[in-house]
Amino acid sequence: MRFLCSLIVSALAAFAALSAPAAPLKIEVQLIWGTTNEVSPNAEHKSIGPELKKKLQELPLKWTNYFEVKRIDVDVPSAGVATVPLSQKCRLEITDRGHSTIQVVLFGKGEKVINRTQALPKGETLILGGNAPGATSWFAVLRRLD
Amino acid sequence: MDYDAQLKLQSYLDGELPESEAREIANLLAQDREAVALFAELRNTRQALVGSEVGVALPESREFFWSKIEREIYRLEKSEPAPRPSSVFAAWRRFLMPAGGVAALAIAAFIGLFGGSQGPTHEMAVADPGAFTYHDFSAGTTLVWLTYPAENEFADNFE
Repeated sequence: MRFLCSLIVSALAAFAALSAPAAPLKIEVQLIWGTTNEVSPNAEHKSIGPELKKKLQELPLKWTNYFEVKRIDVDVPSAGVATVPLSQKCRLEITDRGHSTIQVVLFGKGEKVINRTQALPKGETLILGGNAPGATSWFAVLRRLD
Repeated sequence: MDYDAQLKLQSYLDGELPESEAREIANLLAQDREAVALFAELRNTRQALVGSEVGVALPESREFFWSKIEREIYRLEKSEPAPRPSSVFAAWRRFLMPAGGVAALAIAAFIGLFGGSQGPTHEMAVADPGAFTYHDFSAGTTLVWLTYPAENEFADNFE
């Protein structure tokens, strides 16, 4: 009898584990400004960390200094979309596609600019970038936190 | 007209001869009908080639293009095998390496058959037109550079 009860409890626990919703993907999104200036004219900008700085400086880009404009940690639900506002005119929509794959859609002025689906395992970085005013650049840096 | 003179005639047409040799070729052209005919033929050929030359535009910026070449050269240089040490065990090693490979394949097949299944290991990347992608596999970084003219979308953040 005791064996039967423990078997039922184990089966229920296994069923509960299988039917529980998957944990959301935790993703860090940083909006970065690239420039050749040593200091940013905006006092609210922060210096970026050494790891990200090294990554950016290893890319074939002409800018030498990078500043963090905004950082947002976002939970992407397993069956939903997370929206990340980058500026008043731009936003990202991130969808968990399973198996460490995400879909990222960038909107600018309400229009879809890019739709990208790719694997983003922990430790890897996805960077979207483009030109910004005054021969500078912008980057949206996405990294898995969990 | 000998072969050397023909070559000099081509160089003269391309403006590559030093002044003294250019003068010699100019004198030759004033005296030799065969040289004049060849010079005219070379000039016509060059004009025809220039007129029909098709410009090739890279789908990405010059910095990205050369960086990819540079990294590939670096990767190939790094992956060159080290020189083999000459030792008495070299013959044994030649035998053991394929044997080890067979053993590794057998282990992999065993794990594949009986080790259960895992998630997909391949990566898929789909990008819209208007962007190009740069992968830095060693750093685990993917850069998607947008040619979209987003000049002012972030201005409120940067200024």
